[in-house]
Amino acid sequence: MKLERSDRGPLLAFLLPAIIMMVVFFVIPVIYVVAVSFLKWNGISAPIVRGFRNYLLLYKDKAFARSILNNVIWALVAGFIQVPLAMVMAIILSRKPKGWKFFRTVYFFPQVISGIALATLWRAIYSADTGLLNGLLRAIGLGDAARDWLGTIETAFPAVLIYWVFYIGYYMVIMMADITTIDTSYYEAAVIDGASDFQQAIYITIPLIKRTSLLTCITLASVMGLRQFEQVYMLTNGGPANTTSTIVLYMYKKMQDSNYGLASASAVILIIVGVIFIVTIRKLFEGRGDKAAQRKAIKKARRALK
Amino acid sequence: MKKTIALLLTLVMVFGLVASMPAYADDEIVINFPSIWVGTDSKAAYMSQLIENFNAENAGAIKVVVEEQTDYQAYRDKIRTTITTGSAPDICILDTTFDIKAYAESGKFMDLTPYLDEGWGNDFTDGAFDAWSVDGKVSILPFESAVFTPIYNAKLLAECGWDHFPATYDEFFQMCKDVKAKGFNAMGQMAGDNAWSSMLWYSLIAEAIGGKDVYADGLDNPAFVEAAKVLKEMYSYTFDGAVSAAASDVNGHFLARDTVVYLNGPWWIANFYKEDNAVDGVLLADDCEVAVNPTYEGGLGEGGLVTTVQGFLAAAKQSDPAKEEAVVKFLKYITDPQHVSELALSSGAMFFVKYTPSPDTSLISQKVTEVANNAAFTVLHVNGAFPTAFSTEFPAALSALVLGQVDEQGFVDQLQTAIELAE
Repeated sequence: MKLERSDRGPLLAFLLPAIIMMVVFFVIPVIYVVAVSFLKWNGISAPIVRGFRNYLLLYKDKAFARSILNNVIWALVAGFIQVPLAMVMAIILSRKPKGWKFFRTVYFFPQVISGIALATLWRAIYSADTGLLNGLLRAIGLGDAARDWLGTIETAFPAVLIYWVFYIGYYMVIMMADITTIDTSYYEAAVIDGASDFQQAIYITIPLIKRTSLLTCITLASVMGLRQFEQVYMLTNGGPANTTSTIVLYMYKKMQDSNYGLASASAVILIIVGVIFIVTIRKLFEGRGDKAAQRKAIKKARRALK
Repeated sequence: MKKTIALLLTLVMVFGLVASMPAYADDEIVINFPSIWVGTDSKAAYMSQLIENFNAENAGAIKVVVEEQTDYQAYRDKIRTTITTGSAPDICILDTTFDIKAYAESGKFMDLTPYLDEGWGNDFTDGAFDAWSVDGKVSILPFESAVFTPIYNAKLLAECGWDHFPATYDEFFQMCKDVKAKGFNAMGQMAGDNAWSSMLWYSLIAEAIGGKDVYADGLDNPAFVEAAKVLKEMYSYTFDGAVSAAASDVNGHFLARDTVVYLNGPWWIANFYKEDNAVDGVLLADDCEVAVNPTYEGGLGEGGLVTTVQGFLAAAKQSDPAKEEAVVKFLKYITDPQHVSELALSSGAMFFVKYTPSPDTSLISQKVTEVANNAAFTVLHVNGAFPTAFSTEFPAALSALVLGQVDEQGFVDQLQTAIELAE
């Protein structure tokens, strides 16, 4: 549609607040962070330009490398385990089985509790000597498996990650909302053709939400994974031996050291990693438009049922 | 109906907004004081009373508004950020995790030298400002001091067959074995969170080995590698899960009477006397004794004491002379020897102010003071002696050491690298 000259004024007026907000609260801070990343600055004394030295230090720092790795794992787990779990629950509950409202509430409930509170709760569960998990293991005769879950190299990161994976409510409700908008005639046709619930989910529901809510949830979950902080901070503070550190926690520690240059350089790396992740995810899901996708999905389903 | 509800909601919100706005007299000077001496902090009760009294005495002229911050780390983050962004609070509390020298040099804080020279400085202990003044000017006041000496549960130790606290580290480890054999923990260690307890032990061991000049060569002093070896060994005699433990775990075990030796600053002494921590009506204090840091074979630290500045008071530079006067008046009020004496009595904490201890001072406080008075020399706690990066890296390096990821030299190298990274 060609834009009329008379439309430009109102359009600009509508866009301007958003553009101003974006520039003030995102563009300028990012430019500032990039600029500081080339400095040695303790926040008080005059800054000294040190070029790429901060980036070189990050490259050599094993703790930072470990932080990036942990963030990438976290983002992948979020995008490809947590969201699929949420999708399965969304598909099941969208069929409105008995008690679906109850389960929807139960799954969503952790979302209204602060991450700090949840981390504190799980810290108590994982506690080596008074924790519920070890107590349970001892009670069922598996006392040998009891350990300091958050203080052992092999178990600390999985322990931090695993409980969080099951907090799927946020993504579940997004996908449920999307699923309810799918035209019921597709399902009715599929039932006439003899498709099972599973086949309907595979050949109708998933293809139709793939490029909408599923893509949104994977993007959101991956971004959440990349910026993890409070959980790790509360549960392990990055320990033991930096095995659970994340980029944001690393950045926070450098700020505690009043090393704003290095903290900003790690923030820049986080932005770059985030952009790479989001672009890759969108490329993976890129395809034809929704209508074409619907037609393709229906054809595929019919082929499968023949 | 909907419109009425919307209108009512709006009115409620506007009323709430207006009601929550503080009201001050036009010519009243308001002093903003974000404080950690609130909540469950041992100094909270008396400080609150002190500020209330000050406000009452200066009603209509000066009002100190306390912004309560119960999370110490969040407080540090907030203060660091506000100072960096040029909006330092009127008064704040700093500790050795801040780069005090850089802050003093920054010119962002009020120069208190003229006021101290008028006689106020005589209230402080001799030499209190020496290490923290810049070009002879004092802008950051050392206020709360701390000495670190072991306190032990003598009753528990007696159950393990010991009628005295070990005088040497060799003897100490013999005690550890006996204590563990009886099913108790010798001491609390923690590599989780900020590894505070273990960092204190590291200071004590390093002092015992390296003596008063332990910091002369930085971390190059072999005492730090040797101290790492001793600290690692201690983890065999602490409670399960010490690698991920926090201060609450260390405190909890000692309060539960399953750990013999406790190490923390004097501000914690008040907890020994709390009824809540009594068992069968017996106060924890009744079972406890104060010890001195054991000596190390071949070490240079006999008679030494580990100390630190636990709290500095700093005031932001003011453009209004009247407000500057008001801030100084308040600082003088809380550092008044009589008030500090009361504060010491109620909290157990120690201060850089010359005060006459109250006759009601607790026995444990008296004994800790006696240890401090008898010290042949003092050395700083590692977190004050090294840059902040040392303390930030300490938990990671310690857990790596305890879990066998690095050896003792690797532990020290990791700390050294962290310091260099920040330089």
